[in-house]
Amino acid sequence: MRLVFDRGTLLLLDAPVGANATGIAGLLWDSRVGAWRAPAWRHPELVNVLARAVTPSTDEVRDVTAPREGWRSIELRPYQEAALCAWELAGRRGVVVLPTGSGKTRLALAAMARTGLATLCLVPTRVLLEQWLREIGTMYDHPVGCLGDGVHDIAPITVATYESAYRHMNRIGNRFELLVVDEAHHFGAGIRDEALEMSIAPARIGLTATPVRDGPAVARLHDLIGPTVYELAIGDLAGTYLAGFDLVTLHLDLTPAERSRYESLMNSFHAVHVQFQRIAPEGSWEDFARAAARSSEGRRALDSWRQARKLLAFPDGKRAALRALLERHCDARMLVFTSDNETAYAVAREHLIMPFTCDIGRKEREAALNRFRSGELKALVSSRVLNEGLDVPDADVAVIVGGALGEREHVQRVGRLLRPREGKRAQVFELVLRRTMEVTHARRRRTALAARSATSP
Amino acid sequence: MLPEVLLRHSVRGEIVVPHFLAESDLPWLRVLLDDADRFSGRPQRELDDHLKGSPSAGCPAGKWRLAIHVLRRLLGSRHRSAVPPPQARAAVFTAAAMGKGRAQVLAAVATTVGVTIPELEESLFSDLPGERLVVLPEKPLAPLELALRANLSLAQGFLTRATSIVIEAEGNARTLVRHAKLRGLICTVAARASSGDAVLEISGPFALFHRTLVYGRALAELLPLCAWCQRFRLRARCLLHGRSLQLELASGDPIFPSEEPRRFDSQVEERFARDFGRLVHDWDVVREPEPIASAGTLIFPDFALQHRHNPARRCLLEIVGFWTVDYLTRKLAQYRAAGLNNLILCIDEDRDCAGGDLPARAVVIRYRRRVDPHAVLTALEGMP
Repeated sequence: MRLVFDRGTLLLLDAPVGANATGIAGLLWDSRVGAWRAPAWRHPELVNVLARAVTPSTDEVRDVTAPREGWRSIELRPYQEAALCAWELAGRRGVVVLPTGSGKTRLALAAMARTGLATLCLVPTRVLLEQWLREIGTMYDHPVGCLGDGVHDIAPITVATYESAYRHMNRIGNRFELLVVDEAHHFGAGIRDEALEMSIAPARIGLTATPVRDGPAVARLHDLIGPTVYELAIGDLAGTYLAGFDLVTLHLDLTPAERSRYESLMNSFHAVHVQFQRIAPEGSWEDFARAAARSSEGRRALDSWRQARKLLAFPDGKRAALRALLERHCDARMLVFTSDNETAYAVAREHLIMPFTCDIGRKEREAALNRFRSGELKALVSSRVLNEGLDVPDADVAVIVGGALGEREHVQRVGRLLRPREGKRAQVFELVLRRTMEVTHARRRRTALAARSATSP
Repeated sequence: MLPEVLLRHSVRGEIVVPHFLAESDLPWLRVLLDDADRFSGRPQRELDDHLKGSPSAGCPAGKWRLAIHVLRRLLGSRHRSAVPPPQARAAVFTAAAMGKGRAQVLAAVATTVGVTIPELEESLFSDLPGERLVVLPEKPLAPLELALRANLSLAQGFLTRATSIVIEAEGNARTLVRHAKLRGLICTVAARASSGDAVLEISGPFALFHRTLVYGRALAELLPLCAWCQRFRLRARCLLHGRSLQLELASGDPIFPSEEPRRFDSQVEERFARDFGRLVHDWDVVREPEPIASAGTLIFPDFALQHRHNPARRCLLEIVGFWTVDYLTRKLAQYRAAGLNNLILCIDEDRDCAGGDLPARAVVIRYRRRVDPHAVLTALEGMP
């Protein structure tokens, strides 16, 4: 028998006629081609099964070029060593949970260097693609491949955006033996999983600060990356490897005109939403949005909700509070987080703060980060790009004007400030409008942050 | 991929019926295009704000949103500014970090770069979405074209949610097979007994396990090519809101076609057709003759060479790039199973993938870069 890679799957050719392999390591009979087929990610399991089979087989799946020697020595902190050791002991499969700013990338570099395996790193954005290429470049002496941002260049060590990996994995899934999955909480549900399914890589390491805790995604991540093998919370490292921080919530008011508009919008939203909840008490927000899109009344309700959120993004109270904070902390390095790019640009216009968004070109973003690092720029405003993964230079103050992605986003944002410095204590100001939906959101965010800030169990 | 909310449809039993834009929608599509025309050269956000309003009277909201979605993809954008925006941003935001007031900063930078304050402010964000200026397509869009493009998007939106499709095609089946394979899809071909149409069953390798978007997209990309079949009928099982529904499309559905598929698979084929046509006047070169049924499947010869004055003298010709002896043997066996022995195989000398002897009884012409038309003529004349 011969096992070959076929467009994101494995084909077992020349199997004995009449043999029934259904379900073994994911194998199913494919009558289209007259052979047994399994998803590529089952390769290690399938190889073990075939090794025990009576009929001899050859494994022709791998098309791997091993990376050349060229890794420099990578020193790790004690907790990074412990995490790497836990991952090795778990059979080189698993998710490492460490707080933002604690050096997850460095840990991944050490995993690549010590295993010596051909590696594909999956990162969520083009901005992080650049960062990973740069980081690997400082520790590895040979060219690093890049898949994404208009580049298609495969090398034994390659970095790919999720999007490009998902598009190309059916062709390159047999060329890597280690997958590094940055911000692994994005996987477990949806199309991104296809990239993990179509790869044969036996070794997989997921990195995240905000792991998936429940739902079907947990089991899926367990299959496609591995279990959580090591976990530390902010509280475990605060004061040593991370700076401590204070979270200050500033409760603000809408102006009377804004209040009246907000109430009116939310009333027209609630009128429809309450009806939906009566019919489908267990229905999710997605169910509601889908149902609402089918009627003009529902669409108006959704539109009202969107307008209400827009109103809360940067009303007069937040403008005034942000102005005061910028004045008070004019000597500090500050990050301003908004709920969307439109608000980020509004803040940028009004307060002349450099916006840091996906719309700004790569070179300009790099230059802005350098100027922020050197102190030429005192503040950056962003909605999402600064949220996760990006190695932001040392900042002391964050102002959270608005958020759109919930608790996970909040934990990631706070993490941006925790790069330690002698005597540093970071300050996070969260602007929350009284008697609006923001109050509930803020409460949830604080609960999640408290859970991640406590020491790990 | 078209968001699910834009997949306007109704369900009849197990059948999903797409709500295609039709003749009756052309008046409001004209209004929409006129609107876009009015916003040409103005910032995108102004057009966006305008389109956020209610649809014009008599226009179904779902179709309106679909048409806008497609129109947005067709519009281009450009920016115009007194100072290159990155340069303006670097100067203004760095100056602002020194702690001066907003007005003071803008005045100082405007003087330095030699523009007015409003020009400087405009330059700051003129390259960002929303501020970029609307550019209409080079070739003006007609309401009918917008309707057909929207319908194509709609139908493709359903197909991206499919695991496999079945296409019954008369004519152009070879192109569909080629494009399916180019996209990594598995295509099985059979002949339909009653009509001789090709029946193509196309799916991604992963279809056995579950639906994948990567292969769903590949399936959807085949749809506009179907328009080049003389007649086609396409059936697909699509997963919508957790239900498996059947989509049926056929010739005559108002769907925007792809550009005409390339007539030749390679430059070698194109050159051979041209060289042979120039050299030989008694033979016609027929590109992509009718597929031939053979042992339950279909084979698609590259060319038929037909003698002009003697209909009985007809020969099939295939130009083979990468090859192995096994491959050539199987190909010959297919032709023989179909009762055809008049096949000329042209094989690339540099692309023998396995080595070994060629199959017996094969009329083989070796070539490098171009197939010699004289050699083909000699082989033809040697045939019964």
